[in-house]
Amino acid sequence: MNTLARMALALVAVTALVAPAVGQPAERGVTATEITVGTSMPLSGGAAFWGVPISAAIDAWFKKINDEGGIHGRKLRLVVKDDGYLPPRAVANTRELVERDAVFALASSLGTANVFAVRDYVVETQTIWITPLAGVDIWAGFRNKKYIFATYPSYIEEGIYLTTYAAQNLKTKSVAVFYQNDLYGQLGLLGVKRGVAQLKNVKLVGQASYEVTDAEVTAQAQKLKETGADTLILYATPRHGALIVREMAKLSFRPTLVSSFTLTDPAMFALAGEAWNNVYLTAYFPPPGTGDAKVDAALATLSRINPALARSPFNAVGGVAFVEAFLEGLRRTGPNLTKDRLVAAMETLKNWDGEVIRGVTFSPDRHQGTNRMLMLKAENGQYKKLTNWYSYPTKF
Amino acid sequence: MTQLGQYLVGGLATGSLYALVALGIVLLYRSSRVLNFAHGDVATLATFVAFTLLGRAVPFSIAVTASLAAAAVLGAAFFFLILRPAKEATLLGKIVMTLGLALVLSGVMQLVWGADEHVFPSPLSDTRVYKLGQVVVSQMSLGTIVSGLVLMGILYVLIQRTKVGLAMRAVAQNTVAAQALGIPARRIYALTWGLASALGGAAGVLLAPVVYLDPFMMLDPFLKGFAAAVLGGIDSLPGAVLGGFLLGVAESVFAGYVSFKFKTTLAFGIIILVLMIRPEGVLGREYHRRV
Repeated sequence: MNTLARMALALVAVTALVAPAVGQPAERGVTATEITVGTSMPLSGGAAFWGVPISAAIDAWFKKINDEGGIHGRKLRLVVKDDGYLPPRAVANTRELVERDAVFALASSLGTANVFAVRDYVVETQTIWITPLAGVDIWAGFRNKKYIFATYPSYIEEGIYLTTYAAQNLKTKSVAVFYQNDLYGQLGLLGVKRGVAQLKNVKLVGQASYEVTDAEVTAQAQKLKETGADTLILYATPRHGALIVREMAKLSFRPTLVSSFTLTDPAMFALAGEAWNNVYLTAYFPPPGTGDAKVDAALATLSRINPALARSPFNAVGGVAFVEAFLEGLRRTGPNLTKDRLVAAMETLKNWDGEVIRGVTFSPDRHQGTNRMLMLKAENGQYKKLTNWYSYPTKF
Repeated sequence: MTQLGQYLVGGLATGSLYALVALGIVLLYRSSRVLNFAHGDVATLATFVAFTLLGRAVPFSIAVTASLAAAAVLGAAFFFLILRPAKEATLLGKIVMTLGLALVLSGVMQLVWGADEHVFPSPLSDTRVYKLGQVVVSQMSLGTIVSGLVLMGILYVLIQRTKVGLAMRAVAQNTVAAQALGIPARRIYALTWGLASALGGAAGVLLAPVVYLDPFMMLDPFLKGFAAAVLGGIDSLPGAVLGGFLLGVAESVFAGYVSFKFKTTLAFGIIILVLMIRPEGVLGREYHRRV
């Protein structure tokens, strides 16, 4: 074969390779009629309590929007993959979502440790990532934030707030922490430590951790009792939170209980029983049943589409809170949807209120959309609002 | 002293569950050399059966009996319908089949009952406590320890004092010889699978009120039961019981005095240590390799 023939052949080969790409739409995961969104969630294992209702709620909310005609004529499609709350599986899932399922954006992904594990990959592939469900602290000072939009609270700031609130309003003098031994629990613990350091008359007298896989926590309960703390702060899964509270009650150790918003779902009343009375918790959107009509209406819509969601009301509306800003961004982008146009549109959100999430602000310098929380108290199977919004500084 | 007492009580309650799980694993291993990875999932499924019946106002004793029967039927069915037809499968192949069963059962449970936690009602109270000096024991922990011991006693009598038990031991020692003597080996195998599964189910029903019921409830207790079986001697029934209690107490005391963070690791540290020093386990028969 002479050189010319070879070159011709090479040209044909290259053309054959390139040709299919030419016919494709410009943006991955977007067609004229559909936008594909992916998420990796714990549908099994220790955090299925969160993952199952949250992913089902996002799916139900997408269905609601699709039934109303979609956004600029495009329907939303959610691809959910189970990671069992295990970071290595979250990495594999995320790669699959991006490379095989070719999603336009990643929505959420649950677990601070999991999010941390996939962070570099998502940034490298320049994939839009909406509200990774991770303490927003892991993004502090992070520069490559163009495609990441967080509307999730900071566990460190929450830890500080919980400690300060307890000291000022609940006569707390000595604090102990029960936390999950991973990034989620450790960030919460760090927050409590910072809170204690800022206060003069409060001491951290003990801390007890558990592993997500632990079936029981009797030794931790005994250890916490020995600290004699007057207040216990919880950074746990609902199962472990309920277990520790019950075990301590068995030992007649009943400190004031203060908890992260992660345990706000009313299902806790069923799991922990009367031991969940008088627990103080934060919230970063108005929880259902606390007098916010829009949130209650959102829950009613979700429950109509998927009746199982009524069993897990807080996590269900949480699912809506996580994607609302993204959906608004899609609306503002208009019919010509590209990644960069979406980013520009999202950055126009200023103190924007959704059905569930409130006060979202993004700008080119600020991708931490929300920075506030309020205090709740558990009373007779219901949550009562105790304070107005408290704002903390943004770092991302 | 109070502290130690409290850790011991907690350890014994957990240990009795480990022992029950370990007994099921050992029972099967002795007879068929198969490590049953579906043991935990069969137990969880049985617990869900009890949970569903209790939700329909069936009395506790009937619901639990029915759930144990369901576990036994499932175990025996797995032997008859899957393991036995696959006669040519190697031991490893059979073990992989149990792994497959575990995945199938886990999926079915998630589909039917969902992945969220359920409160499992129990006639024993977890908050009603008795005091032995300064040491606190809940009615539930006491019930767990006692039920565990009673079940172990029944199993002992069944295996050591009855004809069926003798047949089980004979089949476990030498299947061909046992068959030649007229023992229906297949039926004995099925019985062993059923019995082991029912034991697991009992552990599940005892555990569920304490740790909440979900499809993954037995994940950790199964691994610990397996560790306990290795610790005690994987072919020794008394070894399984001893291993269970030893591991339960060791974990609890270790978590209390040394570290929570390495509590889970402890079980596997112990396995490695045992395999190095006494590979046959504390009460296992010495392992001879035929040349």
